[in-house]
Amino acid sequence: MSVSIRDAGQEQLIVATGLYKSFGGEPILLDVGVEVFRGRILGIIGPGGVGKSLLMKMLAGLVEPDAGDVTVLGQSLQSLNASGLARVRDRMGFLFQNYALFDFMDVGQNIAFPLEQMGVPKAEITRRVAERLAEVELPGIERLFPNELAGGLKKRVALARATIAGAPILLYDDPTAGLDPVTSSKIFELIRRLHRPDGATVIVGHDIDRMVAVCDEWLLLHEGAVLFRGTTEEGRASSHEVLKTFFMETGMLGAAA
Amino acid sequence: MSSLAPTPATAEPQKRAKRPIPRQSKANRPLLYPLAAFRRGATLFLETLLWCIKPGALKRRRRQILEQLFVIGNKSVVFITVTLGVLGLISVFQVLVQVERILPDFSMIGPAFIQIMTREFAPTMAGLMIATRVGSGIAAEIGSMVVTEQVDALRMCNADPVDYLVMPRFVASVIQTTLLSIYGCVIGVASGFIAAGLFWNIPAGTFFNLQLVAYGDVVSGLMKAVAYGMAVPIVAAQAGLETSGGSEGVGTATTRAVVNASFSVVVLDFLLSGFSFLFLSKGPM
Repeated sequence: MSVSIRDAGQEQLIVATGLYKSFGGEPILLDVGVEVFRGRILGIIGPGGVGKSLLMKMLAGLVEPDAGDVTVLGQSLQSLNASGLARVRDRMGFLFQNYALFDFMDVGQNIAFPLEQMGVPKAEITRRVAERLAEVELPGIERLFPNELAGGLKKRVALARATIAGAPILLYDDPTAGLDPVTSSKIFELIRRLHRPDGATVIVGHDIDRMVAVCDEWLLLHEGAVLFRGTTEEGRASSHEVLKTFFMETGMLGAAA
Repeated sequence: MSSLAPTPATAEPQKRAKRPIPRQSKANRPLLYPLAAFRRGATLFLETLLWCIKPGALKRRRRQILEQLFVIGNKSVVFITVTLGVLGLISVFQVLVQVERILPDFSMIGPAFIQIMTREFAPTMAGLMIATRVGSGIAAEIGSMVVTEQVDALRMCNADPVDYLVMPRFVASVIQTTLLSIYGCVIGVASGFIAAGLFWNIPAGTFFNLQLVAYGDVVSGLMKAVAYGMAVPIVAAQAGLETSGGSEGVGTATTRAVVNASFSVVVLDFLLSGFSFLFLSKGPM
């Protein structure tokens, strides 16, 4: 089911239609549609195992859907060859749920990697890595290896790597999973700061209390389909049983009260 | 945001199985697994070759290639020294025990042993050792990168995993398997001589005689070493890249890599031995 958001004044940076994916004959996503508009922050929420991270990977072209199409910046990912996909990914940053830091590289090399792949001169890479580390409040840890860092620090390093290239489209897969409340708040503050008004941000998460302060729009996945899409106010106003239960349990309705 | 039209709150949740489940591909049928795996392996091999011949690719990945040369050599050299050393000792000892019953003359034992070491034992034993020692390492390393999403992160940073992970291991493996086969041949022959000299007093001049070693034997041995050096990292990397699940998946991929890489060495040995027998010169060096 694709729920359409009509907003003629906004340009869509990501459009996904009719996404279907099954594993071993078991359908996970059923006809899911997503639209992400320029300047907006979309929060994708839903119960665990519903296919949120899978959907996120489809938006980045990392997982191919069995059916449906993903268009990013006007280009259909399914029709692109490797170099075309690379050009689109140059304009995307992705924060992975489990950090996905390269364990054979130190922090500095991890953050510098996207810039190296883009052929940025070495001196500029060094400067930008130092700047970005300062921005995520981890200055001077370039020489440490990921296995020497705690979870919150790893997340911030992964955030620095995802955003160092200055990509307009940023995808965050559960950015605060397993983190303490203070670190979670810092991460969301960074996400808000790093969001570009001319770009778009998509956040998959469960930390709805903190996501409320950041997200403009919501997409609720339920049983493999889009159950709701709209603004925070529209979510709170809904009388749909599943929606109410989900938002109540996650504190979103409580925040409104 | 007033123009947004959310899903009507009263709408029933989406019903499952709205679309028919796509039919399973033919490759999912158990009998066709090996064929599908072979096709994927061949595709990976061609992709890796394309990355190798891309202008500047080897220079760009020089650091990773040097690292892998060190890793593969470091992992295998002791293993190959011990294996081929023991194999040389035991083979010559057992052959001499049998030959002693039939022939009074041991002068051809050394030349025959050098010939079989050159064309068969050294490259194939080195290939099998590299299949187990290095193949398992490649599959485990790439497999754990897959399950921890590091391979996806490479893709998001526009680094092709074949270029970044497979190609350096492929190049290093071809070089090291060839060098280690030559080294293994020297170790095997030297330890064979120890058995021959110690227990049967065969002089070095009689044992180290190359009269039976033809050009074809040398070419056959080198050809096998290069072929194994190509096959092992491809088979292992394929197992690693196709890892699914968590640590159990990495374990399964590692086992699959060792079994398939060893199997590919044996099959290649059979094919290349036949090729050498039919087409390569048997003239003396």
